Amino acid sequence: MKLNNEEINRYSRHLTLPEVGMAGQLEIKESRVLMIGAGGLGSPLGMYLGAVGVGKIGLVDFDVVDHTNLHRQIAHTTADEGRPKVESLRDTILAGNPNIEVEIHNTRLERDNVLDLFSQYDIIADGSDNFETRYLINDAAFFSKKPLVSASIFRFQGQITIFSPETGGPCYRCLYSEPPPAALVPS
Amino acid sequence: MLPGVVGLIQATEIIKLILEGGAPLIGRLLLYDAMKMNFKEVRVRKDPECALCGEHPSVTELIDYKAFCDVPLPGAELPEEIDEAEFELSPREFKDAMDQDPSAVLVDVRETFEWDICRIDGAQLMPLSSFDPTTTGLDPEARIYLYCYKGKRSMLALKELKRAGFNKLKNLSGGIYLWAEEVDSDMPQY
Repeated sequence: MKLNNEEINRYSRHLTLPEVGMAGQLEIKESRVLMIGAGGLGSPLGMYLGAVGVGKIGLVDFDVVDHTNLHRQIAHTTADEGRPKVESLRDTILAGNPNIEVEIHNTRLERDNVLDLFSQYDIIADGSDNFETRYLINDAAFFSKKPLVSASIFRFQGQITIFSPETGGPCYRCLYSEPPPAALVPS
Repeated sequence: MLPGVVGLIQATEIIKLILEGGAPLIGRLLLYDAMKMNFKEVRVRKDPECALCGEHPSVTELIDYKAFCDVPLPGAELPEEIDEAEFELSPREFKDAMDQDPSAVLVDVRETFEWDICRIDGAQLMPLSSFDPTTTGLDPEARIYLYCYKGKRSMLALKELKRAGFNKLKNLSGGIYLWAEEVDSDMPQY
């Protein structure tokens, strides 16, 4: 795999950083990242991963853009209301960088589709908004031996970590062995 | 703005994993508080007893996550079964019933911040978070009309009132959200 001249020009400020360089930029281009959630976290995450040249980005979400999303889900514009979030985010990412591939999955992540999806990517990014999906993603990432870069937000606080049990770190279940009672989960 | 900060830390960690550079957030949980504007780091370790990645795992394949997450509140008693439909009124029926009943008492069980966004004229605020049917000051013989945002919380309050001996109860089906659509087009939805 090589960079074309347009890409060399586009990524030149990366190429001149010794920590990235041509080898690093090619690593980025060859990488495949699957993002779960195309909302508040997924918007900035997808836009930056696309801009820096991640070669393949997968987007999973089954929701459509709502008026109440617009103040924080910045990849979606007023004109996108009613569109599937994965389509709206894909268009924003590709407008920023047409050199990459964005594959959309306008579906809910389930037990019967998750392992097949994960097998097509190198890194999983969890930006989901419910406990069911978090445990599903954690278990599937463990069985797939893929690192899980996990982020969550609630009100004015955020949490970020990488679950990578195969390299010695914990998984989500090591931290939260059981979900909270359903009645206490904020909707 | 919070998701922007958190999503970009996530993006940074992904690029570091790809480049195999720097110190990744493995075994460290980063906590960000926008109000205090601080970051804290908590060391997190693998749990040898973990059901998935521990020494004797009990989860060896994907499970039913809906059932797994459907955890009851400790000590919660099962609510008395009532026929909810019997108490539900559509927004239009709710309005007509109140208009014909000058003694009707209208109770809003949403929280204060929601009350500050919009409310139905003539309502009294009794947030569900501190709702106690014994101290509402409501007359058990009065006809009480309840509403919340979408109709679920007011049904919980209705059940509590019913258990406390109130009998003339009605619930706004679909809440103030549907009211804004079907009765009062000047009312905002949030």
